[in-house]
Amino acid sequence: MKEQMILKSRIEKGDFNRGGENSSKLKELLRKLGVTADINRRVTIVTYELEMNIIIHSDGGGINVYVTPDAVKVVAEDSGPGIEDLEKALQPGYSTANDEIRNMGFGAGMGLNNVEYFSDELEIDTGPGKRTRITAVINL
Amino acid sequence: MKKHSVLLNEELCVGCTNCVKNCPTKAIRVHQGKVMIKEELCIDCAECIRTCAYHAKYSETGKLEEMSDYKYPVVMIPPSFYGQFDGIEALTIKQSLLQLGFKKVVDVALAAEALSRKTLDFLNEHSGMFISSSCPVVVRMIMIMYPELLGHLIPLKAPVELMAERVRSEAEAEGIPPEDIGIFFITPCPAKNTTIYNPLGLEKSRIDMTLSVDLVYKALLKLFKEGDKEKTVHNLQSEDMELPYLGINWGQNGGETQLLKENMQDKALSVSGIHNVKLLLDELSINNIKGIKYFELLACNQGCVGGVFNIMNPFQAKYNLLKLRGKHQNWIRQDLDKYNFELESELQQIQIGKLDNDLEKAMEKLAELEREIEVLPGLDCAACGAPDCRTLAEDIVNGKASRNDCIFLLRQQVGSLADRMSELAHTLPPVMKRPRKKT
Repeated sequence: MKEQMILKSRIEKGDFNRGGENSSKLKELLRKLGVTADINRRVTIVTYELEMNIIIHSDGGGINVYVTPDAVKVVAEDSGPGIEDLEKALQPGYSTANDEIRNMGFGAGMGLNNVEYFSDELEIDTGPGKRTRITAVINL
Repeated sequence: MKKHSVLLNEELCVGCTNCVKNCPTKAIRVHQGKVMIKEELCIDCAECIRTCAYHAKYSETGKLEEMSDYKYPVVMIPPSFYGQFDGIEALTIKQSLLQLGFKKVVDVALAAEALSRKTLDFLNEHSGMFISSSCPVVVRMIMIMYPELLGHLIPLKAPVELMAERVRSEAEAEGIPPEDIGIFFITPCPAKNTTIYNPLGLEKSRIDMTLSVDLVYKALLKLFKEGDKEKTVHNLQSEDMELPYLGINWGQNGGETQLLKENMQDKALSVSGIHNVKLLLDELSINNIKGIKYFELLACNQGCVGGVFNIMNPFQAKYNLLKLRGKHQNWIRQDLDKYNFELESELQQIQIGKLDNDLEKAMEKLAELEREIEVLPGLDCAACGAPDCRTLAEDIVNGKASRNDCIFLLRQQVGSLADRMSELAHTLPPVMKRPRKKT
């Protein structure tokens, strides 16, 4: 069985109201595929965090999710402005979110940490002024 | 074996889809003009009973007469029961239950208080957030729809089972033969009836039979009317005279968290109503709720006072309970060692919705499912008997329904068939061809 896309979505910058929509949809799809509850939860949380990252930090982007016989692959891609300092961004509690976003309960600096924690493989392609492409793999 | 407590009166069911659309687990379909419940999806929340305008959905429990099957029938009162009465003393209620023929009457609220203390210890010993497992509907909903949260359910028995076990063992210790003991529970909801046949985290329920609140209420009302209301309380043992006021507040939403707060656990939140509970569980499953240590989740609106067997509306009943509690702040002193709190078996996921056991085949079906969703109109009208287009699509892929069940697709087909017919009607064989009439 080759890789198959099961979710394709466009996410707008600042669209907080719709945050979580894709992760909920994905949870349902994975359940239909018989993915175990534990793995499903990891994929769902990773997707939610990546979804929120696009909403909070980027100029907009999208998330595509692929399934292979051994893994679920979540690919989040946005059109910029890129992560300034990736090493810092991966530190727990580090966030560049402004007060307004923090007041909404986001931007606690745990987003990418959670993604790293719940993924089996993580690849981040970014840089100042660049598009960001994050690929998180969770093994089945 | 009986699995669920919701029943259908076929004669009253007109095949409308109100219950279908309101079912939180999408367990109901209409087939051949009558609703049917997919047993594996039903969590006994009784939303369909609430929604049905034709009263076709109902539920049943045991009858009071069945008391005579036991020489030592015991009745357990749920906290919410006290909310059903206004102006009648709690002790009179207990006394009257003895008059009905029960040999002993006990408050489940007592076990609720004990469980609260045990829960507090548990929360102090474990990090992370936990969900109350006292409402059987919520537990079943998590088993079916949110298995990823199973590890967050408090692994302790519900108050009603704790009390049943305690009463039974105390009666046996008094020398009453086990077969003579009958434990009856006055239930506000069908779900607690179901747990007798289908226990959660237990090998077997300690309750022998449930009696719906309305049955017991009517029997008591008769007694009250006969003027026995004034009778002094003499049959009650001294320990039963004391009311567990704090525990009685478990009968309404907030009672459980209130009890924890008395014990310095502030990080507790109460949510009631199955649709609200579902929204909350959605957030919990994406890790989107922070700072809360304990969730009191109750399927019925306003908590157990919202159960469908109740007589009083949930708001008045809630107020009655709050009023009953009044200024009472006292815990009843009791030994926690009278109870076995730990569940006997792990709460397990009930796997549903899997398209196929083989991942590859499931993927094919998923693609097929997406195609069906594209074809269907997306109006979620439920006229097909499924709650929405997505669910119909799933039923189609699983071979349980067909595209023609959709009235819009059917109409489209009839339309194109009619077009085709008219087209055919105009293509006449050459021998029938006539020159056009000149007008």
